[in-house]
Amino acid sequence: MSMLELKNASRHFGGVRAVDALDLAVDEGAIFGLIGPNGSGKSTTVNLVTGLFPLTTGQILFRGADLAGVPVHRRLGLGIARTFQNIRLFGHLTVWQNLWVAQNSPEDHARKGFFRRWLGGSSGVRAEIGELLEFAGLAARQDELAGNLAFGEQRRLELARAVAARPKLLLLDEPAAGMNTEEIGQLRERILELRGRGVTILLVEHVMELVMGVTDRIAVLNFGQKIAEGTPAEIQADPAVRKAYLGGDVK
Amino acid sequence: MLDLVQSILDGVLFGATYALIGIGFTLVFGVMHKLNLAYAAASVGGAYCGLLVAGLAPGVAPAWAVFFGAFLAGGALGYVVYLTCFRFIPLASPLATLMATVGMLLLIDEIIVHVTDGMPRNYPAMFDDVMLRAGEITLRGDLLLVFVVSVVCMVGLLALLFRTRLGLATRAVSQQPVAAELCGIRVTRVNAATFVITGLLGGIAGALIGASVGTLSPLLTTPLTVKGLIVTVIGGLGSIPGAIVAGLLVGGIENLFQMYRGVTERDLYVMLLLFVFLVFRPGGIFAHGAGRD
Amino acid sequence: MDFYYGLAQIIGVHTLLGLSAYIVLLTGQVSLAQAGFQAIGAYTAAMLTVLAGWALVPALAASALLGALVACAVGFPALRVRGLILVVATLAFGEGVRLFFFNFDYQVARGGVRVGPLGGEGFRQIRYFPEHGWTTLEVMLFIWAIVAAVMAALWWFDRSRYGAVLRAVGEDELAAQSVGINLMAIKVSAMTVGGAIAGVAGGLFAHYTTHIEHTNFNILVATFALAYPIVGGLASVFGTLAAVVFVQGFLIEGLRFLGDWRNLLFGALIVLSMNLRPHGLLDAQALARLKRLLGR
Repeated sequence: MSMLELKNASRHFGGVRAVDALDLAVDEGAIFGLIGPNGSGKSTTVNLVTGLFPLTTGQILFRGADLAGVPVHRRLGLGIARTFQNIRLFGHLTVWQNLWVAQNSPEDHARKGFFRRWLGGSSGVRAEIGELLEFAGLAARQDELAGNLAFGEQRRLELARAVAARPKLLLLDEPAAGMNTEEIGQLRERILELRGRGVTILLVEHVMELVMGVTDRIAVLNFGQKIAEGTPAEIQADPAVRKAYLGGDVK
Repeated sequence: MLDLVQSILDGVLFGATYALIGIGFTLVFGVMHKLNLAYAAASVGGAYCGLLVAGLAPGVAPAWAVFFGAFLAGGALGYVVYLTCFRFIPLASPLATLMATVGMLLLIDEIIVHVTDGMPRNYPAMFDDVMLRAGEITLRGDLLLVFVVSVVCMVGLLALLFRTRLGLATRAVSQQPVAAELCGIRVTRVNAATFVITGLLGGIAGALIGASVGTLSPLLTTPLTVKGLIVTVIGGLGSIPGAIVAGLLVGGIENLFQMYRGVTERDLYVMLLLFVFLVFRPGGIFAHGAGRD
Repeated sequence: MDFYYGLAQIIGVHTLLGLSAYIVLLTGQVSLAQAGFQAIGAYTAAMLTVLAGWALVPALAASALLGALVACAVGFPALRVRGLILVVATLAFGEGVRLFFFNFDYQVARGGVRVGPLGGEGFRQIRYFPEHGWTTLEVMLFIWAIVAAVMAALWWFDRSRYGAVLRAVGEDELAAQSVGINLMAIKVSAMTVGGAIAGVAGGLFAHYTTHIEHTNFNILVATFALAYPIVGGLASVFGTLAAVVFVQGFLIEGLRFLGDWRNLLFGALIVLSMNLRPHGLLDAQALARLKRLLGR
């Protein structure tokens, strides 16, 4: 089944066509890459899927259902989570609290009563949050303010926070920015681990090392339009992609 | 029916002062993305200072000298508010600047009360004995003056913003303060200038209000603050044309309410008007995105 | 001694007022309406005990409920828009409430005397405490029992997920939405809780002063309510308490000799403290240092 489908999706800002007649289909369980030069519409696509901007034309279907009119916070309840290009952690909350506030999945809603979920102490969720802390490698830092973490730790926390709501679809917006090779390798491991848990992933990225090494399929955007789609090998060989990234003929 | 038109007309003419106050709030918001809650108080303060001019030459000083004194004093007070509330407080603490302006509002209010012993002061008017007639409708001379002076001020402001380098710098800062700084624009200078300019407008507005009502009283500060803010919000935060239209609108509607329901209930209805706008058109009349114009 | 009990009563009620603004501030919203909710609570409780013969505790509960309902109703339109517009809306609302009570007449004959609110003159003869033989000490203890209960509740919120969610909304609305938090629901809930607390503060105020009028709930009071949590810092409820004690205890009573000039000093003090300590007396760093000092 298709986890995410964009049909003729467009987002125009006045005269600028940030995303133009985009058709995309991400299968369940896939790791799908979205690449393109700066300004090609990758982040806008993520923002459209999460509901930050309304579509100018077209549709976005999540597991077959149209997302039109569904507000941002409800999309998470449906199973869509994201990370941000510029880290948006709750800097004045602790690591633990950052994960705690993100527990908004339908399973969480169903499992505990209203009062326990909102006013209960932290003991009830110790197991789940402990697991997330392990995943992020931050178990020792759980009482640290998120704003005081090192950059790499913050990225791991943001990823864990996105996972806290048990999403079915995870949108990663340039998660490898600013990382060194070792950190990229660790990120790759974590992405594969998430796929192992059944999460479908849409990876927006510039760092080719990561994209080519972890995705099943890639779509390439330029000026808001899709110019190529295929496996990593196909994309690397595609002349149109070369032209968009490097400009003109490359000898 | 005639009363209705007359009442609305008088209100609209007076509403030009609300427009000036609204412009003051909205301009500071547009440039600094902050509310200066002390603005109306500073305007009234400026108007009082204008009376000092009359004090220098009692009985002799012409009304326009008082207005001019208010104009200058307003600008000076604007600069003082800038120094005490915005110059040194880190702009990343919006709460701190907001509270500081509230502190200044209380301070200015109290100073006025102390200096005048809480007694209202008479304010000179111009052309108050002039009455123009257009058919059955009367146009009060002093209200016409209020309207004309306000319009002149607005035109002057727009000319400043769109025809001068300072205006260009102001618009640049309102859109991208960091980039503006990098282009060599001294943001602190622009901010200070914004406060001085709005202060000048406020001083005139305060003087005009005093002139058309006949007296100036410290009790004026609170309702003027609230109404000025309502005008700003209805017009759209950051929109000068919005403030102008909303000011005239509020002036006219206010007089209408006063005619039908009396003075005390009038202000309640103006507040209800705000809530109606919040429900149906929260962005204001000229709802707009980033930027001030 | 009675003088100090009276001072403690004032500090107690002002703490409640400050706390009602505190919880709204956690979500990043500035409300100048708390004095308005307090007014509604004051007139409600007073009318119930004086005109309808209710006992105090049920009357206070009614104040809290009415304060909560009105706050919720005000919150819905006002919280949909940008934060600065909320400042204006709450300011306008607060002034509107004051004007409403300025015009509000509802007098009833009780034992041959007409009692009840009378427009500009206010509501006199709220004599529940004297009629039931409460001493000043007992009133003070009662007020502080309620303050302690409210502070305990808010302190518990802060340790629960609700508190973390409130602060998350106050910190970054975009991120909060993206992790599934319903911004409107959270902001309105904070406003509602704040309204309830302010309502109780009003009910207590009406009964210990025995005479309330519209000028007791003006912009100055709304400013006090907001100033306490801002000056005290948002890291903890104790910041608000510290600010109240500082402002009321030290400033207003200790500088009583300044007479009329006290109010002048209040404005100047706010301006000064915002320039010197923009994050409040007890901001996160100061709180951390204090905790270390106390050996926690």
